[in-house]
Amino acid sequence: MKNRLKILRAERDWSQADLADRLEVSRQTINALETGKYDPSLPLAFRIARLFGQPIESIFDDGQA
Amino acid sequence: MTTAKNPARKRYIARFIPTMAVYVAAIFTVSWVFNRYEPTGPIAWGLALLPALPLLAIIAIMGVYLSEEGDEFIRKILVESMLWGVGLTLAIMTVWGFLEIYAGRRSCRPSGPSRSSASAWAWPSPSSSAATGRGAR
Repeated sequence: MKNRLKILRAERDWSQADLADRLEVSRQTINALETGKYDPSLPLAFRIARLFGQPIESIFDDGQA
Repeated sequence: MTTAKNPARKRYIARFIPTMAVYVAAIFTVSWVFNRYEPTGPIAWGLALLPALPLLAIIAIMGVYLSEEGDEFIRKILVESMLWGVGLTLAIMTVWGFLEIYAGRRSCRPSGPSRSSASAWAWPSPSSSAATGRGAR
C-alpha cells in the first residue's frame, strides 16, 4: 500500500528515528512502512494519523479511491 | 537493529544466555556421568532428559519474547522466522524418518533382528540396545 509517510516526515524535518520514537516503534518498522514492505495494523495507522493530524485515508492509499 | 533500546529484546537475551549456559553444562555433565557410571533404567532416562529441559525452556523463552515484543513489525518478522525454522525442521525430520523406517533397516542391519527399526527405536530390547550402546562408545 502506498503512503505519504516519507513526505510528511520530511515536511517536519524528522529522521526515521525521530518518527520511530514518537510512534514508539522501531526504526526498522518506519523503514518497512515507508518502503511499502509492511502495512501497519489499524491501531498503528490511527497513531500515525493522530501524530500528523490527518485522516488515515490522506496518509495511506490503497489504490481503490 | 533495535537491540539497544528494545527492553523486550534485552529481557529475551538476559533469559536466553543463562539458559544456554545451563544447557551446555548439562550436556557436559550428563556425558561425563554416562561415561563414568554407565547408568541404566529410570536413572538413565532421567539423566538423558536433563539436557532437553533447558532447550524446552528456550522454546518457552522465545514464546515469552513474542508476547512481550511491542513492535508489530518485529513481531511479524519473528513469527515468520519461527515458521521457517519449524517448517524446515519438520521437513528434514519427515524425510529422515521415512528414510530410517524403510531404507535404514535393510542397509544398516542386514542380519539384525526381524522387528522393524521403528518399533526397535521406540522399545529397544535390552540385548540390542546394550550391543549398540556399548559398541558406539
